[in-house]
Amino acid sequence: MAVNDIAIDVNNITKSFKVFPDKGSQLKERLLFRKRNRYEERRVLRGISFQVKKGEAIGLIGHNGCGKSTTLKLLTKIMYPDTGTITMNGRVSSLIELGAGFHPDMSGRENIYTNAAIFGLTKKEIDARLKDIISFSELEEFIDNPVRTYSSGMYMRLAFSVAINVDADILLIDEILAVGDANFQAKCFNKLKEIKAKGTTIVIVSHSLGQIEQICDRSIWIHEGLIKAEGDPKEIDLEYLDFMGRKLQETTSKELEEKQSDEASETEQTEEDTAPEQEEETAPEEAPKRWGNGSARIKKIRAYTADGSQQKVFRTGEQIVFRLEYTVNKPVDDAVFGIGIFSRDGIQCYGTNTRIDKYEEFRLDRSGTAEIVLEDVGLLAGEYLIDFAIETGDGIPVDYYREAYKIEMINSIGDVGIARISHKWNIN
Amino acid sequence: MNTIKELYAYRQMIFSLVKKDLRGRYKGSVLGFLWTFINPLLQLVVYTVVFSFILRSNIERYYLYLFVALIPWIFFSSAITVGASSVVAQKDLIKKIYFPRMVIPISYVTSSFVNMLLCFIVIFAVIIVTGAGINFIALLALPVIMAVEYLMALGMALLTSAVTVYFRDMEHILGILSMMWMYMTPIMYDKSIVPDELLPVFNLNPMTHVIECYRTVLYNKAMPDFSSLISAIGFGLFFLILGCLVFSRLQRHFAEEL
Repeated sequence: MAVNDIAIDVNNITKSFKVFPDKGSQLKERLLFRKRNRYEERRVLRGISFQVKKGEAIGLIGHNGCGKSTTLKLLTKIMYPDTGTITMNGRVSSLIELGAGFHPDMSGRENIYTNAAIFGLTKKEIDARLKDIISFSELEEFIDNPVRTYSSGMYMRLAFSVAINVDADILLIDEILAVGDANFQAKCFNKLKEIKAKGTTIVIVSHSLGQIEQICDRSIWIHEGLIKAEGDPKEIDLEYLDFMGRKLQETTSKELEEKQSDEASETEQTEEDTAPEQEEETAPEEAPKRWGNGSARIKKIRAYTADGSQQKVFRTGEQIVFRLEYTVNKPVDDAVFGIGIFSRDGIQCYGTNTRIDKYEEFRLDRSGTAEIVLEDVGLLAGEYLIDFAIETGDGIPVDYYREAYKIEMINSIGDVGIARISHKWNIN
Repeated sequence: MNTIKELYAYRQMIFSLVKKDLRGRYKGSVLGFLWTFINPLLQLVVYTVVFSFILRSNIERYYLYLFVALIPWIFFSSAITVGASSVVAQKDLIKKIYFPRMVIPISYVTSSFVNMLLCFIVIFAVIIVTGAGINFIALLALPVIMAVEYLMALGMALLTSAVTVYFRDMEHILGILSMMWMYMTPIMYDKSIVPDELLPVFNLNPMTHVIECYRTVLYNKAMPDFSSLISAIGFGLFFLILGCLVFSRLQRHFAEEL
């Protein structure tokens, strides 16, 4: 590889953070509480090297805290590595924190100038881009109003338009395409493809593997501060999903063992445990999102793929099986089970229950499991929140659990919207 | 060298921060931008009353004697005290996005400097109204003195703003320090009344030379003393280089410390 073909050269970088349990930044505190100044060093990156060719798009993937966002921050030069070097050839723009330096009292137009100046553009350069920025943001009528009058969607649109019109040689993106409504997202995505076609080097950090697969030529999987694998996104992403699924299974089976040993030692304590087990993944937020008369409670929710492996990430078109474990405190004679699937912005994508589906009402008199098998789930890429409910026959909630579970759909085809409608084209 | 090139590329950012600062300074107040002029005028009235009627200094045209020194001092002291917290104040920006960090203290010092230039309008107005007279040839030295003071203030602001990130007490220490510094500089009194034993200290104080130069040009209507000017330039460059070195070393961990 010739040297001038390389846009980004990352050479064996490491980075540690000092974690102070309780840090004082004043002299008094520093002197008086010397002991408090003890800190732990957390090694976030343990030696990462990679190169990105000009015009290449790469995706950094990995679970939370693996070091991918830190890597991106080092690339932007917001932070510096402890050891190792990073060379960036060309103007860098980052879509990491949008709207940096926006002033609420200034108009949209003025904020374009301030914000673009932070990216290192001169007035002349901004003048030349102004029209493109405004028309991309679709804010023509509002551009001279103060930014504080904007809705959050308008704000993000303006911020995104500035950042994407900088004409950088290298574009760094962190979880960006959660901007605005679905239409604007699609527009951003197309713009990104257009920018890539023009030869801009792109680095994306995302949880959404679907986005990465659509735009990136290469995925780099970072695991515990090291590169675990890199290559074709489709292969790497599968490997990664597989790994995450296995990890999920390991942790849940470990929990199960722990639970069983707990129960063995403390047999008396089993009865009072009416609250559901707080499994971090299954219950994002509990209290206000749950109601019912308490006769029965949903205890645990898990999702499985067709081959029976536990997962939280699914591909569009796959089968998904949800298995609920419930406990019964007081027998329910006429139970109805329900499910509701919501997109991130609160749109209900699907909802049904056993009554609608013409099942007999169930009699629940002891704890058990319920399963719903969703065939050929056409939901497109994104995160979905799922409600589960147990009701009585006349509609009194027994346990209504909002946002009880979260799944992510990935989709490498690129169709847009909420759900895929099976289709074919006939063109003469 | 690279730093200078990069700062040049970010000139629009400096420009827009200066504009924002100047515009934002008196935002919401009834008199608005007029405060730029009212504030130093009122200070002048206070000091003149105290020193001409109560403490009774026998310096001729004391108000002018004081004014031409006080305005440059206010600029310098605000550059080191308020300038010190300029980086901390912009922590949201620093944690979020890359730009050469020096942009921040440079913008702050520049906007204070512009403020001082505006105050000089008041100085000249006072000179003209009271008929004190101007030496136009000596006036040619004024831009040089201003530039030197700017560099010195910038050096100090780079130094204090970078240190404040790691050590927040600095802001408070600097408040006291700048007051002490003011009384250790011949602003309200003449250097001639300083006891001989203390003179070396005064000569080591870079602001002594700067203030003397301003006063020679605007009050004594003469060309500034060459040795004073050279000392001032020397100090100015020294502080600038020191400030740059310290700042570029310390800025690497700004994002983590803030």
